[in-house]
Amino acid sequence: MDSTIIYTVAAIAILASLGLAVFRALAGPTVFDRALAANAVGNGAIMLLAVVGFLAGRPEFLDIGILYALLNIIATLAVLKFFRYGDLGHAGEEPVD
Amino acid sequence: MQDQLLTLISWMFLALGSFFYLVGALGLFRMPDVFTRMHATSVSDTLGVGFLITGMAIDAGWSLNTARLVIILAFLFFSGPIATHALAQAALHAGVKPALSDDRLKKARRISATRRAAGGGRDKSTTGTGTRKRTTRKSKSTSSGKGRARPSKR
Amino acid sequence: MVLLTMMAVVTIGVVRLRNLFAVVILGGIYSFLMASVMIMLDAVDVAMTEASVGAGISTVLMLGVLHLTKMEEIKPAHTPLLPLFVAVVTAGGLVYGTIDLPPFGDPSGIIHQNVAPYYLQNSITDTSAPNVVTAVLASYRGFDTLGETVVIFTAGIAVLLLLKGRRPLPASGDGKAKSRTRRRRRRK
Repeated sequence: MDSTIIYTVAAIAILASLGLAVFRALAGPTVFDRALAANAVGNGAIMLLAVVGFLAGRPEFLDIGILYALLNIIATLAVLKFFRYGDLGHAGEEPVD
Repeated sequence: MQDQLLTLISWMFLALGSFFYLVGALGLFRMPDVFTRMHATSVSDTLGVGFLITGMAIDAGWSLNTARLVIILAFLFFSGPIATHALAQAALHAGVKPALSDDRLKKARRISATRRAAGGGRDKSTTGTGTRKRTTRKSKSTSSGKGRARPSKR
Repeated sequence: MVLLTMMAVVTIGVVRLRNLFAVVILGGIYSFLMASVMIMLDAVDVAMTEASVGAGISTVLMLGVLHLTKMEEIKPAHTPLLPLFVAVVTAGGLVYGTIDLPPFGDPSGIIHQNVAPYYLQNSITDTSAPNVVTAVLASYRGFDTLGETVVIFTAGIAVLLLLKGRRPLPASGDGKAKSRTRRRRRRK
């Protein structure tokens, strides 16, 4: 069986979800919608990388997927920490309201 | 025989993963507020990614690529809940209220009341429908503006 | 192609939005899309650089900058017609320049005739590195890479000193220090 078809289907599905996430990032009313959509786009980039690697017959690209996963979580956490404390260098305890 | 079985299983996993991934993205697109959207993306983060990576790992067999896929899967499984948790905490802390069903009921009642008021006062002419449309649109826009977080206030 | 369309849409969103925080997040999304395009073009190392620098470092650094400035952008006072004209003319010149280029992947192109065959044939016997790009960067052009690393190291130290001087808390600049080391590691 030729496994190209199913990988193409998966790639198209991931591309469509990327488009939806980009729309949410552009339209989303709050900043958190945009951060959520950015996280989704990062995950979509990882999965697209893996699927395209298998589609092209070169799954060695997956190393970069690991890098993307690390970067994605670092970026999301930095954004959220900044938004919560207003500063990246904050020590992390609860602010006194 | 066994090879064909494995390929079939891998196809099934990949198709399921694509389906769940697309469903999660549709939820991100369609859901009404931040928290329900988070709920929707968790579908694609766990089920979609899990099925896709399992399918690819079955296709790759026992090799270095499977190890890489497992590492990616572990990272995503850890990072997804952490990011969602931090996002929900930050959103709650910034004062974004979840859209409850009571709110929606109240909004619907208010809209219908304004509609009745706008439609009952005058005849069924074209101007009446015009004002009706405008009032509903206005109430929608104010409710969406209320949910917007104001970052400059903090 | 789909990815490029999405990138164009994101760019328009970046231009139109006034909330700088959202613009930073959209910049991260743009970088991830750009990295995906690079992977489609088989340029894996460029994709890695784009993802780590664009989505990782610049997002974090921009957030640090955002802490020092305001959150909302002021509406521009002048009309955008003259900058638009300059940008269109420059883009037209660049597109006109690409007409003379040899087709993508043409083995008889000029850049494939000079030193590339030597690298491709002798890199394993010369340096015993399995990846040709690594061999070129780290062995054939080793001094060049060393100079780059020195420059970036100096820039990182300077930025760290500036940030430390502005806010004398001991815990401040923690996330930036981490990102700096990441960037240095990436350049090696």
